[in-house]
Amino acid sequence: MSEASGEASASARGRAAGLLEGFDGSLVPVIVASTAVVVFGGLVQVSFGTFSMTVMEAWRAVLDPDIWGHPGLLAEFFLGDAIGGAVAAQFGWTTDVELAHETIIVWTVRLPRVLVAILVGANLAISGAIFQAVTRNELASPYILGVSSGAGLAILLTLVVFSGLTAFLPILAALGGTTAFLIVYVIAWKGGTSPVRLVLAGVIVGTVFQSLQTGIFFFADDLGVVQSAIAWTTGSLTGTDWEQVRLALPWTLLATVLALAGSRQLNVLLLGERTARSLGMSVERVRFALSAVAILAAAAAIAVAGIVGFVGLIVPHMVRTLVGSDYRQLIVGCLFVGPALMVGADVGARLAMDPVQIPVGIVTGLVGGPYFLYLMRRQEQLGDL
Amino acid sequence: MTGNDAETRRDSDGDHSEESDTDRDDSAAETTGERRARDEVTEPARTPALHGEKLELGYPATAEPVVETERVDVPAGEVTALVGPNGSGKSTLLKSLAKQLEPEAGEVLLDGEAISEYGSKEFAREVGMLSQENEAPGSTTVEELVYHGRYPHRGFFDAVTQADDEAVDRAIELAGVDHLRDEPVGDLSGGQKQLAWIALTLAQETDVLLLDEPTTYLDLHHQLRVMEVVRELNEEAGVTVAVVLHDIAQAARFADNLIAMKEGAVYDWGPPRKVVTEALLEDVFDVVASVDTDAPDGPRIHPHRPVE
Repeated sequence: MSEASGEASASARGRAAGLLEGFDGSLVPVIVASTAVVVFGGLVQVSFGTFSMTVMEAWRAVLDPDIWGHPGLLAEFFLGDAIGGAVAAQFGWTTDVELAHETIIVWTVRLPRVLVAILVGANLAISGAIFQAVTRNELASPYILGVSSGAGLAILLTLVVFSGLTAFLPILAALGGTTAFLIVYVIAWKGGTSPVRLVLAGVIVGTVFQSLQTGIFFFADDLGVVQSAIAWTTGSLTGTDWEQVRLALPWTLLATVLALAGSRQLNVLLLGERTARSLGMSVERVRFALSAVAILAAAAAIAVAGIVGFVGLIVPHMVRTLVGSDYRQLIVGCLFVGPALMVGADVGARLAMDPVQIPVGIVTGLVGGPYFLYLMRRQEQLGDL
Repeated sequence: MTGNDAETRRDSDGDHSEESDTDRDDSAAETTGERRARDEVTEPARTPALHGEKLELGYPATAEPVVETERVDVPAGEVTALVGPNGSGKSTLLKSLAKQLEPEAGEVLLDGEAISEYGSKEFAREVGMLSQENEAPGSTTVEELVYHGRYPHRGFFDAVTQADDEAVDRAIELAGVDHLRDEPVGDLSGGQKQLAWIALTLAQETDVLLLDEPTTYLDLHHQLRVMEVVRELNEEAGVTVAVVLHDIAQAARFADNLIAMKEGAVYDWGPPRKVVTEALLEDVFDVVASVDTDAPDGPRIHPHRPVE
C-alpha cells in the first residue's frame, strides 16, 4: 500500500516537511521567552565572580571577534585540544591569538558552565517528557525507573570503595543509572511490561539502591569525600569546564534528534497501549527504545552534573500547560524551557550565597517543589496522562 | 435445538460465503430488498474474512480458558454482531480476532493466512479495532486524533502524504465529525468522542473493522449515528464488520449475522431471523420473550420477564 509510494525524492521532501508539521503559534513565545532567560542568566553568570565586570563588558567578551574570527580557537574549545588542534592544523587555522583578559575569563572559566547548564537542562527536560509518555504518568521524572538511585550508588561506590576510579566517575554514574534501569525493566517484565509495573519496579529498585547508598556513606572517613558525594547526588555545576561540554554535547545532540524523531510514537503511546497496538505499533519495542533514549539523555546530564532533581519533572509540565500535549511541540518546548530553568537556577546556586556555591540541585528543588504544589492546586487531575 | 443445528453447520466444511448464501436463501425475507442488492455489489470472495479455528482463549490470570470454540467465522463483506450476556466472552473473542490476545490454542486466519504471520503494522492495515474505552490527551484535536489512524501506513521517518490527507478527510466526513475537526477531544460529548474515535479507525482504511461495544454508553441519537456510519462503510466500501453489541434487539435489526455466545462458547450463529428465537433468549439471555420474526427490519423482541 503505502510502501509503493516510497520514492526517494518524494520521501526526502516528505522528511523535511515532517520536521515542521504540527507546529503552531503557541510555541513561538515559549521559545522567545526561554531564550531571553538563557541569554540574561548566562550574561549574569559570566559577569559576576571574583573578577567582576559590567554586563556590557561581559557581553563584549562573549561576542569577542578575536574568538569568533578564529575557528581554530572554537575548535579547541568544542572538540578539545587534541582533536580541535588537529582540525585547526588541518585547515591552517591559527590557535595562537592574543586575547583580552575579560575574554579569557569568560571563555575559559565562566561560559562553559553556562553551556553545561543548557545541555543538562535540555537533557533532563526531554528525558522527563519521554518518561511521562512511556509510563503515562505525569509524575514521572528522568529518575523514575531507578536511574537516580543506580547512578547515586555508582557515585558512592566510586568515591568511597573504588577511589582509584574517580577519574571515570561521570561515566560510571551514567552506567550505574543505565544498569538500574535495565534491572527495573527485567523486574517489570512478565510477558511484557506495563506502565504501572515499570513504576513499581522503579520504586523497589530505588529503595534498595538508596539503602545501599546510605550504607556506603557510613564508610566514608573523609569529609571531602562526603561533600563530593553530596554534590554529585544532589547535582552541581561547580567546576564544570569545556571538558564537560565536550562530554555531554554529542549525546545531547543524539538524544535530541532521536526524541524529535520519536515524538509521533510518543503521541500514539499516549492513546493507550491497546489503541497503539491496534494501530500496529510494537508497543514493547517502542517503549523500550524510547526509554533508552530517555536514559541516554539522563545519563548525559548525570555524567556532567550529577543527579539534578525536579527539572525533568516540572519542565514537561510547564511546557504542556503552554503548548498542549502534542509531543512534536512538547519536545521542542522542553529543549528551550529546560535550559532556561537550569541556567536560571545555576545563577542562584553560584551567586546567592556568594562566596559559597551551593549545589544547583538544591535550588531546583527549592523552586520546583513550590511550583509543583501550585500545579497540583490549580489542576484538578494531576497524575494520569 | 438451535445449538445442535449450529454445531452441524459449523462441522460441515466448505466455502463459508457459499454457506452464508444458503443461510440467506433459507429465510424468504432475506432475498428481498437492500441486503440482496448489496451482495451483488461487494463480491465477498475478494475481501478477506476472519476465521477462528479450535480457539482456546484465556488470560494469564485465569487457569481455565475463558472462551473455547470449534470454529467462528466473520463472513466477508457482511456485518456480524457478537451478542451474549456479560461475561460470555464476546470481547475476549473479538480481541483474539484483532490480534490483541494470543490464543492458548488454535488459530485465527485472515483471508486464509494465520494472523500470527502478519507483522503488526501489516495487520493494522488489514484489520482495524476500536476498543470499548479510549482515552486521548484532552488537548488533542479531532483532526490530530484521526491522523493517528494513519500510523500503520507511515514509516518511522515518513511525513504525511497526500494519501494520508485524503484518507483522513474521508474518515472525518464518513464519521460526520467535520464540524468538530479542530475541537479538542476533551471538550466533546461521549457520543461525539466515539464518532471521532471511529473516524480514527476508519482512517486506517482496513478491509475488516472490529468494534467492541461502540454504542454502550451513548445516547440513542449517537447510537444510531454510530450504527449508520458502520452500515454505510459496509455498504459503500464493502468493509467486513464484526461488532460486539450489548443490545440484542439492536443487533438483530442491524447485523447480517449474529454470533450468540454463552459461557465462553458459541451457542449459535447465522442470520438474525434464524438465530433470534424465544429459545435463545431464554437459554442465553435468561429472558422470557416473544419474537416477532416477520417484522420488516429484522426480528423484533418483546421481553416479558427474567427467567427464574
